Order: sequence, then C-alpha cells, then structure tokens
Amino acid sequence: MDCSRVELWLSDYMEASLSAEDAERVSKHLEECQSCSALLQEMQSVVSLCRSYPSFELNPQSIENILLRTSGRPRTRPFRELLRQYFIRPLLTPKLAVGATLATLFLIFMLDLMLPKLSITASSLSPMELVRLMDRGAQQLYGEGLRAYNKKNEWQAQFRRFKSNTLNNLRSIKEQIEVPVEGHKKTEEPPPRKDSAPKEKSSRLFLWPA
Amino acid sequence: MLSGDQKLVERCLQGDDAAWEVVVNSYGKRIYNLSYRYTNRRDEAEDLTQNILIRVYQNLRSYRSDAGSFQNWILRVARNLIIDHYRQARRFPQTGGSEELETMNIRDDKTPNPQRAAEQAEASRFLQDGLQALSPELKEAIILRDIEGIAYQDIAELLGVPEGTVKSRINRGRLELSKLLIKRRALLGMQM
Repeated sequence: MDCSRVELWLSDYMEASLSAEDAERVSKHLEECQSCSALLQEMQSVVSLCRSYPSFELNPQSIENILLRTSGRPRTRPFRELLRQYFIRPLLTPKLAVGATLATLFLIFMLDLMLPKLSITASSLSPMELVRLMDRGAQQLYGEGLRAYNKKNEWQAQFRRFKSNTLNNLRSIKEQIEVPVEGHKKTEEPPPRKDSAPKEKSSRLFLWPA
Repeated sequence: MLSGDQKLVERCLQGDDAAWEVVVNSYGKRIYNLSYRYTNRRDEAEDLTQNILIRVYQNLRSYRSDAGSFQNWILRVARNLIIDHYRQARRFPQTGGSEELETMNIRDDKTPNPQRAAEQAEASRFLQDGLQALSPELKEAIILRDIEGIAYQDIAELLGVPEGTVKSRINRGRLELSKLLIKRRALLGMQM
C-alpha cells in the first residue's frame, strides 16, 4: 500500500469508519512509514485544535439592533444584566464608592458614640456567652432609654415650673401697673358721644387761605 | 405533529416577538461565529450576522420543515449571504483577525488562567493562518466539520453535494492543513 492511498484514508482511519480489513492495511503501513505516521499525528492535533477553537459571544447591542430592525421589539434583558446595569455599575463609580465609604464610617462612628460599650473577648465567643452579652447589651440599652425618659420628664417639670413662675411674675407686674395713682382719678366711663353733626367748617377741605 | 423549531417558526409567523427573540438568541451566536470564521473580522462578522438574521426574518414563510431542519435552513441562508459577501469583497481578509483574537473577549471555559489563554490565542492564530492558506472549498469544509462540529450529512445538505464529496474535502483540508503546519513548525522551530 503506498503513501498517497493511505493519505486518502487517513481521516476515515482516524474516525474509525474504515472497514476492519482496510484499517488493518493502514495500520500496517503506518508502522512501517515514519512520514505517514507523523502526518496522522499532525492531523489529530489539527482536529483537536479546531475543536478547541474559541467561540465568541455576539455583542448584546447587535442582538438589540437585529430585534429592532425586525420585530421592532427591544431585547428582553435578563435579571442579572438589569442588576448589573442599574445597581452594580452605579455602585462601582468612584464618587459613589467614596460617598458610601464615608457614610459607613460616619455611621460606625455615631453608633460607637451612642451605643453602650460592650467588652468582648475571644474567650466569650460561645453561644451562651454571646446570648448573655446581647442580653446585657439590651438591658444596658433599656436602662439608657429609661434614664433618658426620666431626664426628659425632669426637664419637662422644670420647664413647667419656670413657665408658671414667669406667668405669676407677669401677672403681678400687670396688677401693679393697673393700681390707680392717688389724686388722679381714673374716668371709668367713656366721654359722652357727640350726636350733633360736625360743623361745616371742619367738613370742608382747606385748600387755600381765604 | 410539529417539531420544536417548526412550532417556533409558526409562532414567529403569527407575530410572536418573544419567539423571534428566542430564535435570535439561539442562532445568533452560531451565525456570528460562522461569519467570523469566514471573514476573520469582528466588525464584518457582526454586520453579516445582522444581515443574515434580518434575511431569515424576512424569509421565514419560505421555510418548509419537510425540506430539512430549521438549523440547516438558517445555516444555508447564512452561508449564501457569507459567500455573497465574499464575492463582493473579492477576497478573504488576510489581516486583522489574528490580532483580534488576543483582544477579543474570548468566552472559553477551558482557559481559566492567563498563560493558558495566551497559549490558546497562539494556537488559534497558528490555525487561522493555516486556514487562510486553504482553498475556499476546503476551508469551508474544515470550518463546518471540525470547528462548528456539524455532521457530515448536514454539511452535505447545506452545501448541496454528496456526503462522499464532503468527506473527501474534509480529508484533503486536514491533510493540507497538517502539512502546512508541519512546514511552519519546522520553519519556526517551535512546539505547538
């Protein structure tokens, strides 16, 4: 069997689609012929290279264009893409990242100031200990709340006292002002009403001296 | 009884836009890759894919399920347009594709690390250069069978030639490609 004949059958031999008799003849030739054997190996590597050839994704914008130019309906976007477009991408902008970091730091700082201090050690990280810790924290928080409530009531009482004192003082000042001075009788009744018509003179508008 | 693809076509013909979107999503990637294998250029492949799918939409009524599968029908439309494009351009572009392979967003699960991705790109460039040297007939046979993985019978139906001719073209294509690569490897003195 010559090399040109074997070359014609190499693909079939590689894919095991030759008859048993022909496959045997090709095998025998390959054992004897170095170049045909090398060619078969190369062909196998070519086929595996072709099969591992990368495939590419079609640009979503192209799909959008196709749909708009055919059915006229825009592309249905998967949830993941919507999430990326409207939530993750805006979050990844530098301005928002800096703002979010500053807000988080501010929140931590405020919580640190406002919440009661709890001491946590590594040895206390058992479930029961954590529950106790949380309970203690809740109790402290409740205590702080009660104290704040009492304080509020106290301020309210103080304000009420201050308000009533001020009002009393004002009332007494008013009474003092309203006491009549001796020898200066205060006329209780208003002056008698003049029923007569006003004089003619007074009703005229004085424009020029007569 | 209607097959899945036939039902999809029926729904498209009744004006169901969602069904057409399914067709575009199902076959868009395949047509794009096929176009890219032929043109070697990403922008041309995208334009071709759009034109092919628009043509498919316009000619959906001419699809007959008894004449073959929907996939083969779409691939036939795609191939005809690709060949028209080739005739208009009067050439297969020799540059652009190899460089693009490295910069393109390659979605290949078998390339988890940069080193393997670089090797993959190198091997792909090697193969691409080899494919450029083949005649259009042999190149087409290799693309359809070894890269796209289409069955011999479907390729025969697609190209309108006997299955034996397809097998012969594929064997000749593989042989020429192997010999070219052996020669090239000897010249460069490198191992693939």
